[in-house]
Amino acid sequence: MTGKAASSTDAVIVGAGAAGNLFAAHLAEAGKSVLVLEPGPAWTTGDLYSSLIWSRRLRWGGPAVESTGGHAFGAGFNNGWGIGGAALHHYGTWPRLMPSDFTMKSDHGKGLDWPLGYDDLRPYYDRIQEEVGVSGDAEAEVWRPAGAPYPLPPLQQFAQARLLSRGFTALGMKTAPSPMAILSQDYKGRPACVYDGWCDAGCPIGALANPLVTYHPRAVKACAKFVTGAHVTRVLPGRNPHEAAGVEYVDASGETRTALAKVVIMAASTIGNPAILLNSAADGWSGGAGNSSGLAGRYFMTHSIAAIYGFFDGEETENYLGVTGAQATNMDHYPKTALGGGAFGSLQWQLAPTMKPNDLLGVAMARADLFGPALTKFMDRAVHHLAVMFGFGEGLPVAENRVELSGRTGPGGGRTPRVVHTFAPESVKLWERAAELGLKVIKAGGASEPWANPMANAHMMGGTIMGRDPKSSVTDSYGRSHDIANLFIAGPGLYPTAGAMNPNFTNHALALRSAEHLLAHWPA
Amino acid sequence: MRSAIEGPDATRRTLLKSAAIGLFAFQLGGVDAMLSPAEARRRGARLKILSPAEAAQLEAFGDALVPGARKAGIAHYVDANLARPHSQSLLTARYLDVLPPHDAFYKTGLAALDGAAAAAFGKPFAKGTAAQTNPLIAAMLPGQITPWAGPPAPLFYLAVRSDAADLVYGTRAAFEQLNVPYMAHIEPPSDW
Ligand SMILES: Cc1cc2nc3c(=O)[nH]c(=O)nc-3n(C[C@H](O)[C@H](O)[C@H](O)COP(=O)(O)OP(=O)(O)OC[C@H]3O[C@@H](n4cnc5c(N)ncnc54)[C@H](O)[C@@H]3O)c2cc1C
Ligand code: SF4
Repeated sequence: MTGKAASSTDAVIVGAGAAGNLFAAHLAEAGKSVLVLEPGPAWTTGDLYSSLIWSRRLRWGGPAVESTGGHAFGAGFNNGWGIGGAALHHYGTWPRLMPSDFTMKSDHGKGLDWPLGYDDLRPYYDRIQEEVGVSGDAEAEVWRPAGAPYPLPPLQQFAQARLLSRGFTALGMKTAPSPMAILSQDYKGRPACVYDGWCDAGCPIGALANPLVTYHPRAVKACAKFVTGAHVTRVLPGRNPHEAAGVEYVDASGETRTALAKVVIMAASTIGNPAILLNSAADGWSGGAGNSSGLAGRYFMTHSIAAIYGFFDGEETENYLGVTGAQATNMDHYPKTALGGGAFGSLQWQLAPTMKPNDLLGVAMARADLFGPALTKFMDRAVHHLAVMFGFGEGLPVAENRVELSGRTGPGGGRTPRVVHTFAPESVKLWERAAELGLKVIKAGGASEPWANPMANAHMMGGTIMGRDPKSSVTDSYGRSHDIANLFIAGPGLYPTAGAMNPNFTNHALALRSAEHLLAHWPA
Repeated sequence: MRSAIEGPDATRRTLLKSAAIGLFAFQLGGVDAMLSPAEARRRGARLKILSPAEAAQLEAFGDALVPGARKAGIAHYVDANLARPHSQSLLTARYLDVLPPHDAFYKTGLAALDGAAAAAFGKPFAKGTAAQTNPLIAAMLPGQITPWAGPPAPLFYLAVRSDAADLVYGTRAAFEQLNVPYMAHIEPPSDW
């Protein structure tokens, strides 16, 4: 039942994460009235306790997401909750996509093409890195596509990065400081990083570009209104099937409410966006809102992770110092067919993330098979001598990989999402080849007893893909629904291919491009 | 060179003391008290979700996985989190995609472990010797433990192992014992 109606705003934004806050800041600063609806709490930087136990409060706390398939996706780990979304506790590793990521279908006859190219996005990458502060060494990143140099020098490196880089050098490969949305120097009123590695629990000093210190304050200052405890259940149809009237949501007291708006912007994450669209079936929207293609939820993608570990016994690896993301990178095998042997897709290495003793990415989980006294012995050694690097492998877009509605009901009677995911055979091969390569590299660097852990995954892309053809995509290159003129979708869910890069820099660049386009073409 | 315990630039760190809103409420003699799980165990605080037998079994299993988990109060820690609304739970199960309710996950997992123990050595898990329980535990992660009538054995193993690791390795005191600098920006509410 629909309860109280809210007065109409220029824009209602669904979700207060990375994309939602960027849109809110830009629209509100342009004088639009903006309402942002967010189901989680109104976190402040004071909530970001330095503890990986307490950091779990920042993970998705809404209705459970089911996850299934041959390579089930880690939905609980990858979803945020509350102001800031996943970006509140993301690690700030911010590489750009490569030009080849936009043209996979044309180049290889596999996957999909983007409806825009790297050159279209390049100016937005350049502007975003200037706005939020990205640290790195553009020259050392010999793989990096054309673009302005970073506004800040690279972050400091510690022993773990130096030791791991040795293996790459020994095999004639290169490493460069990782491009990070973390400040190496004080910048625009925010302080530089102090390398304690608590990024995974959120960076309360604001050295890492989380929305609480980037776009959220700008949005609030420009009078965007944020309502927390507001779970959006569906998009409401307007006067005809090509128009949305607003959204329906369940507020913190459990009451169903309506938010009317001239423009609806869905920024509720790669899983949340298609789930809301699919729950919005109505007259003229038989398969859900904006789903005449039948592709809402389809082409869900993630990155495989080849996690390579090794001991450097004579050395203090200082694996507790640095940042949670990475200290150095290698992209020699980024070209889609570089690994050979049946593998297809891009690979990037991120070296030397900080490891705390506990938690999923912590030291104790590095050997999940150990327990009892053997684990105690391992811990004593590993906290001072272990090193790790992660190979992120591109998952090919596969239509069967999807966000769909489960049989369970959530707030307002809507059905909760289920993610079905199995990597394509070429993507599995990519992970296998990456693990082999990683072991070779770490051995060449002098590590003893190296091992690769079972395949893991991270990041979520696709599910509301953009494209030129309304029959084979959900939105145009600005995230505007092909079906509903005043409905925009934001976030990495738009990507038609995933590349192997951490998604948030591209997410920001796309959102800035879309927000400016929307403002320049505001519906009459 | 900076001292390993202080970490880099300790002077620049924003040392904020958080409000103690996150401490766990345990019942002692009918009165709510804010305690750490270790203290709650030591003082015999009442459990809200787990039965005494389940708590004893969780302590035995947790301690076999990560030595020290019993004393650190794993049963009270898990129990206190199960008693909270799901969105406030700090359990790893929350991001291992274990579907709520999580009390059923722990209870059926513990029952399955007892079932496997009874089949293997004719006693509850908590009464087994290390020589009897270790082969059972080792068979969990590969999913080879039989009989097993509960949540997926690898998932249950990982969740409880991570709870135990949180208590034994994830606190400031534990970091110090491992000679790892804690370097908090904001001290967590309680030092478990
Ligand atoms: C642990 C971790 C580390 C990461 N590290 C990196 C990294 O180093 N580099 C990188 O590039 N990327 C990283 N990422 C990914 C990055 O955080 C995401 O790509 C980015 O946050 C996506 O932005 P978004 O706006 O689409 O979603 P989010 O930032 O997650 O925001 C979505 C918001 O929508 C809300 N929402 C969900 N459902 C509803 C609903 N029904 N109604 C209303 N609101 C809803 C959510 O509560 C959330 O606040 C990391 C992610 C995680 C989890
Ligand atoms: S390591 Fe740097 S970016 Fe990470 S939490 Fe600490 S100060 Fe913030």
